[in-house]
Amino acid sequence: MLLQQILNGIMIGSVYALTAMGATLIYGILRILDIANAGAYVAGAYFGWFIYLKTGNLVLAFLFSMMITGLIGVLIHRFIYAPILSKPRILPIVPLVASVGLFTLTGDLARLIAGPGTKAYNVDFGVDVINIGKLTVVPAWILIIVLTALLFTVLWLVLNKTKLGLAWRATAEDADIAKAVGINTNSAMALSYILGYGFAAAAGIMVGILYNSITPALGEVPSYKMLSIIVLGGLGSPVGTVIAGLFIGMVETMLSAYNLTFIPKDSVAFIVLILVLLIKPSGLISKTNNI
Amino acid sequence: MLKIVDLEVAYGQMEVLKKINLEVKKGELVSVIGPNGAGKTTLIKTIMGLKDAKAGQIFIEGKEILGMPAWKRAEMGVGYVPEGRRVFGNLTVEENLRVGCYSLNDTKKIQQNIKKVYELFPRLEERKKQLARTMSGGEQQMLAIGRALVMEPRLLLIDEVSMGLMPIMVNLCFKIIKDLNDQGITVMIVEQNANKALKISHRGYVLETGNIVLEDTVEKLRNNDVVQKAYLGG
Repeated sequence: MLLQQILNGIMIGSVYALTAMGATLIYGILRILDIANAGAYVAGAYFGWFIYLKTGNLVLAFLFSMMITGLIGVLIHRFIYAPILSKPRILPIVPLVASVGLFTLTGDLARLIAGPGTKAYNVDFGVDVINIGKLTVVPAWILIIVLTALLFTVLWLVLNKTKLGLAWRATAEDADIAKAVGINTNSAMALSYILGYGFAAAAGIMVGILYNSITPALGEVPSYKMLSIIVLGGLGSPVGTVIAGLFIGMVETMLSAYNLTFIPKDSVAFIVLILVLLIKPSGLISKTNNI
Repeated sequence: MLKIVDLEVAYGQMEVLKKINLEVKKGELVSVIGPNGAGKTTLIKTIMGLKDAKAGQIFIEGKEILGMPAWKRAEMGVGYVPEGRRVFGNLTVEENLRVGCYSLNDTKKIQQNIKKVYELFPRLEERKKQLARTMSGGEQQMLAIGRALVMEPRLLLIDEVSMGLMPIMVNLCFKIIKDLNDQGITVMIVEQNANKALKISHRGYVLETGNIVLEDTVEKLRNNDVVQKAYLGG
């Protein structure tokens, strides 16, 4: 049933977009590929799981997990990326390797602290499924779609209607000139990390709820799928990332729903990526015509 | 206002500026002229804080500024009009000017300063909702100057204002720079168009391959044989 699959696709695509948004915001300002963003996704899922286990309150779990993970992001930038990037003539591979290291570290910390096994993410919504006509909706799906829409609305408002957002857009476009006209570009970077890592944390919790489980290896697939989404979205473009995330989510869902996959589902993102790079290397949305 | 002492700047092993000494007094309009690759843009970037110095000192109003980030220098009253304009193309004209006001906190003052720029360049007010990248080169140059003016700089650094502009725009830009200087803003311009630059300046420096080879009042520079031959086409 088509409508059902479209809903599925939007839901999965929202999670993808949310996961990749941090990498986009960070690339937009620092021009580095932050694989550790997928580590924020793992950390966020574990923080959320722990808070929910202790309090039974899902709102608190989202709120605090996002805040803690966002703040960790700011600290990681302050004490790891900023010192690396301040060295003269640094090769782009150096921060990339640092971010892979951080990502691996996150998974292993989760393994050490919470144990290697799967943790159940039992969130009780009161009802199991809601039937609307022929459409079957799981409450977690509504949560995911609504919360993602809300977070992206907040992001849009911050970027387009606040002074800090203006600074972010100016810095993303030309960091040197932004500095020279009086912008403390560190604040734009901090904004990228708070929002980016916070969003990744929310995505981690969502996936935990959706599949009712988390493991320390949770971030492995997102760590590379995220890359194809941000490249597809035109590297550093928030709007492009939303579109690319939804697009990949939709294609994956449709192919597996209609048994068109003679290949593993997770490779779809890369096949789409290769095709797009062959046809339109600047990504679906090129950076020059959007924020 | 601006004093540079034994400034050395290098890209890797390559020395671009070798022990430069230069001074711009309060209220002056000073040009630095010289051929392509002499180090003019590097000089202005180092003053602004976009390029690190290897040795030497730079003082703004007596205060040593080397090591300070660019935004602190902007807050101190250094305005910058970069080579090639470099307006924020994906932002509207008005947003570009608001970015320029970033270090100001008083909303009323911000509006006043933007209004002043619109009075200076009515063209910008007509296009305030337009994305900067859709404007002509001349309009972008006005915006780049406006963006530097909104934060009321006491020292204005202008890099190759004439580059890539139609003659009529070049004349307009130089006239505006002269007017701004008459209103009390200290200005340092770096320019390949030596003729036009010297016409509006009080003093000039000639920069060649990283060395200041001449320094004098414009009258004397214009009568100097070497300058006439090399830069004024005489």
